[in-house]
Amino acid sequence: MDDAPGTKRRNFFRWFAGSWTARPLFSTGTALIVMVILQTLALGFDFPTFGAWLSRWLVNWSNILRNNAGIGIISLGMTFVIISGGIDLAVGSTLVAIGAVVMMLIDTGPKGLLLRIGLTGVPAYAAAIIAGVAFGALLGEITGILVTKGKLPPFIATLGTMKICRSVTQHFMQGYTPQVPKPFLQIASFPVFGQLIMPIIYWFIFAFIFYVISKRTAFGRQVTAVGSNERAARLSGVSVQRVKRLVYTLTGTMVAFSAILQVSRIGSMDYANAGSGSEMDAISAVIVGGTSMAGGRGFILGTVLGALIIGVMNNLLNLMGVPPFLREAFKGVIVIGAVLLQKRESSS
Amino acid sequence: MKLDMRGIFKSFGASGVLKNVDFSLEGGEICALLGENGAGKSTLMNILGGVIPADRGEIYIDGAKADFTQPIDSMRAGIAFIHQELNLINDLPVYENMFVGREINGPFGFLDHDKMISETERIFAMMEMELDPRAMVRDLDPSYKQIVETARAIMMNSSVIIMDEPTSSLTETEIERVFAIVRTLASRGVGIVFISHKLREVMRLCTRYVVLRDGSMVASGSVADVTTDSLARFMVGHDVRTETLQRGRQVGRSVLKAENLSDSKFFRGVNFEVKSGEVLGVTGLLGDGRSELFQSIFGAGGGYAGQVYIDGSPVKVKSTTQALNLGLAYQPRNRKENGILKDMDILENGSISIWPVISKFGFIDRARQGELFDRQVKNLRIKMGGRTDLITSLSGGNQQKVMLSRWISSDPRALILDNPTQGVDVGAKEEIYDIILKLADEGVAVIVLSSEAGEIIRVCDRAIVMYHGRIAGIVSGDRMNEHDIMRLATGAESDREV
Repeated sequence: MDDAPGTKRRNFFRWFAGSWTARPLFSTGTALIVMVILQTLALGFDFPTFGAWLSRWLVNWSNILRNNAGIGIISLGMTFVIISGGIDLAVGSTLVAIGAVVMMLIDTGPKGLLLRIGLTGVPAYAAAIIAGVAFGALLGEITGILVTKGKLPPFIATLGTMKICRSVTQHFMQGYTPQVPKPFLQIASFPVFGQLIMPIIYWFIFAFIFYVISKRTAFGRQVTAVGSNERAARLSGVSVQRVKRLVYTLTGTMVAFSAILQVSRIGSMDYANAGSGSEMDAISAVIVGGTSMAGGRGFILGTVLGALIIGVMNNLLNLMGVPPFLREAFKGVIVIGAVLLQKRESSS
Repeated sequence: MKLDMRGIFKSFGASGVLKNVDFSLEGGEICALLGENGAGKSTLMNILGGVIPADRGEIYIDGAKADFTQPIDSMRAGIAFIHQELNLINDLPVYENMFVGREINGPFGFLDHDKMISETERIFAMMEMELDPRAMVRDLDPSYKQIVETARAIMMNSSVIIMDEPTSSLTETEIERVFAIVRTLASRGVGIVFISHKLREVMRLCTRYVVLRDGSMVASGSVADVTTDSLARFMVGHDVRTETLQRGRQVGRSVLKAENLSDSKFFRGVNFEVKSGEVLGVTGLLGDGRSELFQSIFGAGGGYAGQVYIDGSPVKVKSTTQALNLGLAYQPRNRKENGILKDMDILENGSISIWPVISKFGFIDRARQGELFDRQVKNLRIKMGGRTDLITSLSGGNQQKVMLSRWISSDPRALILDNPTQGVDVGAKEEIYDIILKLADEGVAVIVLSSEAGEIIRVCDRAIVMYHGRIAGIVSGDRMNEHDIMRLATGAESDREV
């Protein structure tokens, strides 16, 4: 090899290009780093001391993470669904349905369901959480049964449940505003080191659990096998129907946790608009994270990074004073750009 | 037209795939391109087809240097590449498939269906073939699909047609149909490159041969001057066995028994029994229902009437999971569609069927998975880089061995292998036969489904010949020969002795 001055730089570029195409998480990670740098520049350095800058930077970051924890948790389940070759459009609507059920249970007003049977305080909260999670799992299981036993395309099945959940919830919750008890809010707002970071902790714990499931368990690997080649998986003794049902059940469960988190953060829910569009946000996070819409190839870690990229971008647009109506356009650009830049199999 | 490829080099990463290969072809020749999987045949033809660029070397057409950077360049030069996986659109009729990308428009820009149909009919007539251009491609036999692709190549006025293993999924009669067309084309001056692993076909069809081994040309000449044995020796670099493998093993107790199995469509009144240590062949022509029969027994097909016994006790298999638990294993045909998990690594492709067994609390015991797979790698002599490389990085023969390891590792008592040597070269084929015999010696009841009578005769103790979903006869000993098998498979005679 010659020792020309350009060699080192060429090697770096070769390494970079090689890693970009060979390692799927590399491109996502690089994109996130670029976004963080831009965001740091946008925040500026106009602070009296380094400490003041750092604390502002950290507060900014905990806001980003907290604001995206809800979508982040849903997108973990969505990753499994998409790896298995499916899609779940209903997550935004099941979110409000589950939220409504939880709030009806813990309502401190005269209509509160648990109050009427004399259950209050921590036992009531625990019961509401268990009921909410069970309800979410049930909704997911119904979708799973429609897809497997009913042989409906996931797009159609979840388009249907999306409409049903939203509409029924809105109808029954008309003119009823449940009162969420103050202690319930602690679930999301319990301070850790004086910071409101509980949602972030939940998100990362779930992300870790999902990562382990996807990499180490028979079920997690079977999800990839089903998405990669359903026929081959079935002939290899994989119970394809069970795997498919479980990914929707798991997503329903994650939506339930996200709904409980939202109720405890805000203390109320706007049934017409809450969660609306969150199915697309969750899908965006999964896709930006490098998971293939065709199924078979996907990464939990990528989804976490994908959710962060979208979150950081929102924050960046905010810092730069981009008008709110234009922000969705940037999300669109990010999704298209991310997929364009990812390594894709040649379609020929 | 005269085609000349000179001094072609190509490497992927560090490994050289083609090392200074020369290849030439004249009009009217049918040239066999032979070599084991990974010898570089496909790479060489992909370079000629403009699919991938060569690192070094030139291509001349009638003495003029050609520069193929993409498939369209090669097509324009009159070279048609018929890939092993046919590129037809199942949901369009034959005539529309003929014109995909080059549709004939009438006035106002609408498709001129009549013209496309009559043009297709003209080509078919020229090929002396009867096929309705309006038939849906989905409904065609594989041989007709192959012929439609060939017809498309002819319509484009191709003077060189590359056929990549055109007969690998065809039955004997279908092969004859394709061969007749190939001969007609050659007589009209078209040059044909015929890639195949089936040496006897090569002897029957081709005029010239070229053998590649490890990326270099090792032999070439006129087919009239060689035997299948010498061709096989050129390919693998040493002698290859062709005689019938030794029989007379001890057979044990009944492992799998079927009584009067019928379904609504594919098979009727099937009875058979296979014992521990026995190799049972099942053969027939296309539409004989053997794959559907055994898929149903394995719980992967439709339901059936009748009774299946495993180890003498009646069972009703409802799912593949249950079948594996009962000690059945079924390796499907067409590994690309039914076997390969393309997004997963070699290790996982080889061990997916045992995950439920080696998991504790849902977690895969990775040490055990690796240990069991390594045993198979040694046992089956799988050649690979790292076991966490993608399955698609392996050659066809090694992919097939990984598929075998997937079903062997579940320790089945009855192992059903559907076309186990499909798309596999001579060397790997022999190794697979050895594995089958070794499994039988260990007491496994092995069922080999194959459309190649030669393969059945070579490894099986006994063979069931099927015809249109029924058992036409069971042959063994001296009666297990190509002539008798073909007579039963074509329905020429129904065997009454059994």
